[in-house]
Amino acid sequence: MDKKTVTTISYLSRLKIDGEKEEKIIKDLDNIIGFVDKLNDVDTSNIEPLTNPLEKTAKTRKDEVTAKNLKKELLEVAPSANEDFFLVPRVVE
Amino acid sequence: MTIKYKTIKEIKKMISQKEISNKEIVQEVYKLAKENSHLNAFVTLNEDNSFKKAEDLDNNPSGSSLAGIPIAQKDLFCTKGLRTTCGSKILNNFIPPYTATVIENLENAGCISVGKTNMDEFAMGSSNETSYFGNVHNPWGEKLVPGGSSGGSASAIASGIVPAASGTDTGGSIRQPASLCGITGIKPTYGRVSRWGMIAFASSLDQAGPMARTVEDCALLLNEMCSHDIKDTTSLDEDIPNFEDDLNQSLKDKKIGIIKDLDLSTLNNDVVAIYEDSLEEFVSLGAKLVDISLPNLSLSVPTYYVVAPAECSSNLSRFDGVKFGRRSEDPKDLEELYVQTRSEGFGDEVKRRILIGSYVLSAGYYDAYYKKAQQVRRLIKKDFDEAFSNVDVIMTPTTRGPAFEMGSKGDDPIQMYLEDLFTISANLAGLPAMSLPNGNIDNKPIGLQIIGNFLNESTILNFGHMYQTKTNWHMYTPEGVKK
Repeated sequence: MDKKTVTTISYLSRLKIDGEKEEKIIKDLDNIIGFVDKLNDVDTSNIEPLTNPLEKTAKTRKDEVTAKNLKKELLEVAPSANEDFFLVPRVVE
Repeated sequence: MTIKYKTIKEIKKMISQKEISNKEIVQEVYKLAKENSHLNAFVTLNEDNSFKKAEDLDNNPSGSSLAGIPIAQKDLFCTKGLRTTCGSKILNNFIPPYTATVIENLENAGCISVGKTNMDEFAMGSSNETSYFGNVHNPWGEKLVPGGSSGGSASAIASGIVPAASGTDTGGSIRQPASLCGITGIKPTYGRVSRWGMIAFASSLDQAGPMARTVEDCALLLNEMCSHDIKDTTSLDEDIPNFEDDLNQSLKDKKIGIIKDLDLSTLNNDVVAIYEDSLEEFVSLGAKLVDISLPNLSLSVPTYYVVAPAECSSNLSRFDGVKFGRRSEDPKDLEELYVQTRSEGFGDEVKRRILIGSYVLSAGYYDAYYKKAQQVRRLIKKDFDEAFSNVDVIMTPTTRGPAFEMGSKGDDPIQMYLEDLFTISANLAGLPAMSLPNGNIDNKPIGLQIIGNFLNESTILNFGHMYQTKTNWHMYTPEGVKK
């Protein structure tokens, strides 16, 4: 784990790391990755990954409208919105 | 009449015999909550609604199974109109427009949701030291952590404010605080309780469950919490038994699996002695001890610290400052809005886990870490499948020791991660598991973990209840043994 890797993953995570905390974060991440690296000692050839303990296909349901239109309630909890949309800083000049 | 340290069963009896009114119960809950405000167990109290519901119940008594029972809800469940923070600055002012299914189920059964309990931020932590709203204190001793992440729920019960609380458990977040606070808590089988309206941390591991003073009370709560919910695609469409039915079954000739690969030498000596005493107690109840092998158990913590951060980094991408939650002030463009909002809104532990998740999921590392961890996860599950072909339950200590002091784990995150050594494997395998008090070390409680086979909550509740009919560890309170 080096500075360049941490810069890449913090960009992917949309997180900014404060300069003063960078060294500690690199050290922590390095320790954690070192800790999980012991998984590499295990022989997992021909073992199917287990993504979910139920191993069942997600159930589908009929495509019917069951909830009422919550537009007003949902826009009300937004940090910035008008009557119809969420508002963000201008993207296109 | 007081409800302090009373069980749900006892309070139900007090209500039915008219020894106390619903309004008096709510009054006392808030009196106790205020007397214990130094514990910092609650983020938000729900006084007006609770008094209204109590008065309605006094005017129109209800036959519902949990009518008038005050319950504290972990602040990770969405509650319509009531602030829900998940212990994070980023949700500091979030008022959900809907209520989680499991909370609705409890309220439909008559429970009064008296407040939202403090927790580790986004349920990431084992000591309740990562909440934006400050540390929760353990009523068993000054400066002691209550465990985490459901530490506020555990502290509120252990201090006698409420008889019951909801919790969630991704790697031990119900069982570990239950152990450190001397109460009982159960993580049901993955899929038993709907996750709809639960703020997601690691979706293939998260499961909600009850916390209470006794196994019997947990059974009562579980009866109401479980449901098949079409709004959650992982919600199980299986028969839900009445969890009270098998509580008193004889344990004669039932088999308890003892993990022979478990290295007990790193544990507090007293924990081992107490664990062995508890096993003797079960033998005297007629159960048999059987050696089992879970050869991949020691890999469960590293497996978890790949799978959980990976799922967390995906789930927490929704906190972008656009649709709900807190937004940073005056971002100059959209990119800065995302980055500033997230950098200001999340605490250090949450950031650490998001970064680890991004790393293990990124191109070039996906197979080496994420896929590998999921393969090991299958090996761990297979170990359990084989073990359960021969035993009814598996027992371990819940934690490596009793409650520790705040700040004592230093700043190495792995020391904290190892707190969940015994609890994490049940989440990886999706199995039900419970912690119940089985001893005291220097007047600090600890717990015994009982893991059951898939959908076999009734069996672990049966073992736990029979243990509590013979022992009184669940009667211990920070003020002495309950009469």
